[in-house]
Amino acid sequence: MLFPRRLMLGLAIAGTLAGALAFPALAGEGPTEIDLFFPVPVDGKLARDMGTLMKEFNETHPEVKATAVYTGSYDDTLIKTRAAIKAGKPPSAVIMSANFLLDMQIENELTNLDPLIAADGTTKEKFLGQFFPALQGNAVINRSVYGVPFHNSTPLLYINADQAKEAGLDPNKPPQTWAELTEWAKKLTKREGDKVMRWGIAIPCAYDYCGWMMETLTMSNGGRYYNEEFGGEVYYDTPSMLGALTWWNDLIFKHKVHAPGATPGPAVSTSFISGNAAMMMLSTGSLTYVRDNAKFSYKVAFIPRNVRNAVPIGGASLIIPPGLEADKQKAAWTLIKWMTSPEKSGWWSRATGYFAPNMAAYKTPDMVDFLNKNPDAKTAVEQLDVAKPWFATYKTVPVRKNLEDEVMLVLNGKKQPKDALTAAQKAADETLKPYNAETSLKLP
Amino acid sequence: MSLAEPAALPRATSAAPRLHVLKRFTAGFTASLPAYLLLLPSLVFLALFTYGAMGRVLIDALYQRTTPKAPVRFIGLDNVSAVLADPAFTGVNNLIYAVGTAIPSIGLALLFALALSRTSAVTSALRAALFLPVLIPMVAASALFLFIFLPNVGLLDSYIGRLLPVLPNWLGDPDIALSAIMVITIWKNAGYHMLFFLAGLQAVPEDVMEAAHLDGAGPFQRLRYIILPELKPTFLFVTVIATLNAVTQVDHVFVLTQGGPSNSTNLVLFYIYQQAVEHYDVGKASAATLLTLAALMGLTALSFRTLADRESGP
Repeated sequence: MLFPRRLMLGLAIAGTLAGALAFPALAGEGPTEIDLFFPVPVDGKLARDMGTLMKEFNETHPEVKATAVYTGSYDDTLIKTRAAIKAGKPPSAVIMSANFLLDMQIENELTNLDPLIAADGTTKEKFLGQFFPALQGNAVINRSVYGVPFHNSTPLLYINADQAKEAGLDPNKPPQTWAELTEWAKKLTKREGDKVMRWGIAIPCAYDYCGWMMETLTMSNGGRYYNEEFGGEVYYDTPSMLGALTWWNDLIFKHKVHAPGATPGPAVSTSFISGNAAMMMLSTGSLTYVRDNAKFSYKVAFIPRNVRNAVPIGGASLIIPPGLEADKQKAAWTLIKWMTSPEKSGWWSRATGYFAPNMAAYKTPDMVDFLNKNPDAKTAVEQLDVAKPWFATYKTVPVRKNLEDEVMLVLNGKKQPKDALTAAQKAADETLKPYNAETSLKLP
Repeated sequence: MSLAEPAALPRATSAAPRLHVLKRFTAGFTASLPAYLLLLPSLVFLALFTYGAMGRVLIDALYQRTTPKAPVRFIGLDNVSAVLADPAFTGVNNLIYAVGTAIPSIGLALLFALALSRTSAVTSALRAALFLPVLIPMVAASALFLFIFLPNVGLLDSYIGRLLPVLPNWLGDPDIALSAIMVITIWKNAGYHMLFFLAGLQAVPEDVMEAAHLDGAGPFQRLRYIILPELKPTFLFVTVIATLNAVTQVDHVFVLTQGGPSNSTNLVLFYIYQQAVEHYDVGKASAATLLTLAALMGLTALSFRTLADRESGP
C-alpha cells in the first residue's frame, strides 16, 4: 500500500523535473509572447473590453500570445513606455496618445512602419487610405508612417435635452455659434438667490484635457495652436487664442454660467450625469459612459464656432517601440493589423464610444445596425469632416503644460487672459529653445 | 516612511563601534579581515544601490543633454542655478506644506495621546480608530479623497454646499489646493505621531507625578512642568519624522493634482519627477535631487546632533 504510493510520488516528482527540463526547449517553439501597453483616458469600462479583445486575438492566433498591460492615463503611458525602452525591455506595441508620436520620433523612440507595410506587399498610400484623412496628420512624420490610428475622438457638445426643453429651448436645434451657446448657457443656469443650483455649461480643464479644450476653442475661433509642419513652434500669444480664452473667462466671470476653477474631466461628466451641469464639452470617448449612465435624454452636437467649424482629433494610435527582436516585431504588427481591421475597429468603437478610424468599419452590418439604434454616435464621425490634427511638438507635454498652468490661473480669476497667454508663450518658447537651436536656428 | 524605520534611528548615532574598528585596523589588518568580510555583502549592496546611485546623480547634475541628437555637454553648476531660478522649484510650497502639516498633526497627536494614555477597552478602541488612517496606503487614501473633494457632487460639497453660495473647487483652485492636500496629510499622520507620544507618556516617571500630586499641582501644571519637559525627546523625534515625511511623501500629489493647478501643489519631490520623466531633463532633475538631498542631510544631521546632545546630557 505504502510502496505504490511512494512510487507514484517519486514518479510525479520525476515527471515534474523532466517537464521543467524540457520546458526551455518547448518555449522556443511556443507562441511569441508580446506585451501591449494600453491607457484608459476616459470614463467607462475600457480595461474589461481590452481583456475581451486580447482573449479573442489569442484564440484566433495560436502563434502569438498577447498580454495587455494597463498603464494609466495617456501621460502615464508615455512615461512608462519611455522607462521600459530605457530599461532595454520595450513593450511590443503601445496604444499611444496620437499627439506624442512626433516627440517620440524626435527622441528616436519609434519604429518606422514603412518596411512592415512594404513587406505586406502594399503601399503607404493604400495602407493609410483605410483611415479617415483627418487622422493621418498625427500618424505620418516626414512622409513615413509611425503609427496606426486605433481609437479616435473629437470633442462634442453634450446637451441635457430634458433640461433644455424645460428652459424653453429646442434640443433638436442645438447651438451653432458661440453666441448661441452663451445664450443657451444663460438660460440653462439655475439660481436661487446668489446660489447656483445648476451650471449652464462645463468645460474640463486638467492636465491633458485642458490643452485639448484650448485647441478646440482656438480652432473654432480660426486659430491653429501650433505649427503642423514643424515641432518647434506654438501660437499661444495670438488673437485667435486670446479670443478663445477670453470667452471661456467670460463664461465664468461675466456671464456666470460656468463654475469657476479648473475642473477635471471625470468631475465634468459626473456633474452632467447628476444634472448639475446642463451642457458640457467632452470627448466622444465619453459617449458610451453617458449613454449607459444618463437617466435623462441627451443630445450631442458639433462644437459651436465663432469663426469656423474646426476641432482637433484626439485619441490614440498603435506604435511599435524600437529595439525589438524580429519575431516580436512581426507578432506586434500582426496584432496591430488585427486590431485596426474594420470588424475589430467597429467593435471597439461600439464598446467605448470612440469612433472607428477605419472607414470600412462603418460599412460592416453590425455598425450599420448600431448607428440606426444610436444616431448620436454619428455626430462624431460627421464632425471629422472639419477635424484637424492634434497639437504635437518637441516635448509636447511640457509645452502643453506651459499653457495649461496659465489657463488654470485665468479660470480661477487670478490672471487676465492676455497676460496669461503672453506668459505661456514665453515659457513655451523657452521649452522649445533647444530644439530650435538645432533645427530652425542652426544656420550655415 | 515605514513603521520599522524610526526604531532604528536613535541607535545608529553612537560613534563608538566605528572608532573601535579603526583602532583594530591600525593594530593589524588580518585581525579585522573577518569583520570586513562579514560587512562585505552589505557594503556591496550599499555601494550598488545607495552610494553608486548618489554618485551617478552627482555626475548627471553636471551635464546637459538637450535633444537626442545633441552631444552631452559638461556645464558645471549651470543645472543647479537653472533649478534655483525656476519658479516651479520654490521651497516655499514645501515650507508651507511642512510647517502646515507638522504643527497641526503633532498638536493633534499630543492631544489624542494625552486623552487616551490610560489603557481601557474604550481607549484601545479609540486608539485603533485614530490609527486606522496610517494603515491605509497613501494612494488609496488619495483616491478616496478624490471623491470627497469632487466639485459640486463630492461628499464635502454635498454637505458644505448647503451653506456656501459658490462652492469652493477644492483641488482646482490654486489658493485652496495645497490646503486640501495638507488636510489629507494631517489626517493620515496624526495617528502615527500619536503612537510615539503614547510611548513617550509611558516613560514619564510615576513617582514625580505622584510627588506633584501631593504638592497640589493641578492638571495644567502637571502638563506644563512635568509631562511636556519629559516628552521633549519625543517632540524632537516626531518633528524630524514629520519634516522628512513632508519632503518624501508625494503620493497624494500624484493622484490628486499632479502639481497643479498652476504649480500650486508642486512639491520638491514631484518637481524632480517632472523634470526627469516629463521634461526628459536628467541634468536638471539630478541638480534638484542634489539640492533636496543636501537639505535633508543638513536637517538629519542637525536633529541627530540635538538627539545625541540630549542622550549624552544628564
